[in-house]
Amino acid sequence: MTVVPMATTDIKEEPPVSLWRDAWFRLRRNRLAVFGLGVVVLLAFTALFGPYLTPFDFLSQNLDARNMPPSLTHLFGTDDLGRDVFSRVIFGTRTAFLVAIVVTAIAVVIGVTLGALAGFFGGWLDRVVMWLTDMTMSIPNLLLVVVINASLKSPISSWMESRYLATLNPFYRETIWVDFLLVFGSMALISWPPYARLVRAQVLSIRSRPYITAAQALGLTNRIILMRYVVPNALGPLIVAVSAGLGTAMVLESAFSFLGVGVNPPTPSWGNMISDGLRVWQHYPHLLAAPAAVLGLASVAFSFLGDGLNDALNPRGAK
Amino acid sequence: MLRYIATRFAVWIPSVLLVMLGVYALAYFGAGDPIKLIFLRAPGDVAYNPERIEAIRESAGLNRPFLVQFGSYIWNLLHGNFGNSLTSGRSVWAMISAAAPVSFKLALCSILLTAVVAIPLGLIAALKQNTRTDYAILGSALFLWAIPAYVAGPMLMVLLIMVIPGSNVPYGWGGIFDVRILLPLFVLSFQPIALIVRQTRAAVIEVLSEDFVRTARAKGVPEMIVALRHILRPVLTPVVTQLGLIMITIVNGAIFVELVFGLPGLGRLTVQALTNTDYPVILAITLIGSFLVMISNLLVDVLYPLLDPRANDTRRSR
Repeated sequence: MTVVPMATTDIKEEPPVSLWRDAWFRLRRNRLAVFGLGVVVLLAFTALFGPYLTPFDFLSQNLDARNMPPSLTHLFGTDDLGRDVFSRVIFGTRTAFLVAIVVTAIAVVIGVTLGALAGFFGGWLDRVVMWLTDMTMSIPNLLLVVVINASLKSPISSWMESRYLATLNPFYRETIWVDFLLVFGSMALISWPPYARLVRAQVLSIRSRPYITAAQALGLTNRIILMRYVVPNALGPLIVAVSAGLGTAMVLESAFSFLGVGVNPPTPSWGNMISDGLRVWQHYPHLLAAPAAVLGLASVAFSFLGDGLNDALNPRGAK
Repeated sequence: MLRYIATRFAVWIPSVLLVMLGVYALAYFGAGDPIKLIFLRAPGDVAYNPERIEAIRESAGLNRPFLVQFGSYIWNLLHGNFGNSLTSGRSVWAMISAAAPVSFKLALCSILLTAVVAIPLGLIAALKQNTRTDYAILGSALFLWAIPAYVAGPMLMVLLIMVIPGSNVPYGWGGIFDVRILLPLFVLSFQPIALIVRQTRAAVIEVLSEDFVRTARAKGVPEMIVALRHILRPVLTPVVTQLGLIMITIVNGAIFVELVFGLPGLGRLTVQALTNTDYPVILAITLIGSFLVMISNLLVDVLYPLLDPRANDTRRSR
């Protein structure tokens, strides 16, 4: 840095660089994060418009062309029913995003509410919430899901069935809602503790910062303090956590399908395709490789993006 | 010190009991009538004979209040009685004690491998911060973290067969000194390694700016000694606190790794129990898994003041 004599310079008044602009500049410098962002945007586009672009219907079967290896007509080959794997992977993107967004949204709402309440009020509420998160986090999450699914699936299905018999309302016959409810619900139930813990820690640390005291001393109202100082400072880590959480939720969904408690066929989901592919991978490796590679790519992309966002939004490296 | 351990233990026991209560309640209220569950599989029409059901219920003590049943379940657990499997009728304890050694050996090897591989890598990455080496290590760690075990496992198997023609698929269990253990062990360790590499790197970067590191360098201590003696020691503390999290990733990973590589451990038992909705087995495995994680957390709590004498019992780093 060069030393400039103070008296002779006109200090040019530059427009203030906002937090987000600043973060965006830092993010763009991180090559891994840019790669992650690119893949995420591409996948989101596929999830939105993909089903209109697929060369084949994801359900249409062609029994003359079963288990075909990848070719120009079928980029990823065909599966045991002659369905085009490429189209199914594309449609699976939609399922993956749906699951990831809904689950993360529920988990964030639960986690942020509990965490903020705990951090703000402290005392016994804090202790109860923290204890609840500790409990949930000490049960290995896949086992917890297994228990939840094993216990809740049959009562809910039989309740739906009895409702159907009583009312003959076709709504109760759609078991797909039960599936989604169970999958989303149990995934959200195991995903909220990290958010709660994060938000609580943020609220606690921000409340005791000197700039909050300074703002209070200046006589700013609570609302302005909250909106201008507390929220932006707590938001960074939360965005990082959400970005990483979206990837985790996608992997989690496929793990559920692998265990046979996920989204039911014939709705294509990457997890379903992987678990189907696992049965025949010795003979038809492409059936496993295609969905697995896409899932891996999505998960890696979200994790690179989350890490880049972490460096961009928390420049002091407070990990 | 003894007092500290005693306090930690006293807080720990009710937590364990409450986790058990939660898991037990889920199975109790969700599973439905255990007698019907048992006899639906048995020949004859016991399941549809209300009088016999009531008689069995009476004799098995299933008409007692929920909390009493929970109490007797815990009492039986303490005596090594986990009940019987619904499908095979075998004692759950026998099934678990046959499967557990496989999983435990695998988990121990995985923790060892993680410590040996991940801590040096994290240290190197931090010492060469923002260089190509750092990016390579950090990038691979993120990559390993993101790849699920059930994807990595089969892919590596395909790769192995393609690279070494004529090699056998590493399927099955032959003890920890068998060559077939290598692939599952690596796949199981991917996530813990990624976790510890990142943790170590972050901790080292924090320590690097401390005064004692600067002083050591200023007085001419060789860089190797600085890294090993002045940096690594304070770094080990935050790394050790990750034991609980590592345990979770290993318990989760074992489910997939054991299934993919055909290892007869607790993970495969879980999947079998799930497909058969075998509640006593699911319940027992969940309890054991949670117990392992909680005992790791307790161990961390007890070890923490030994590693970092500044910590009093209110401070508990995660």
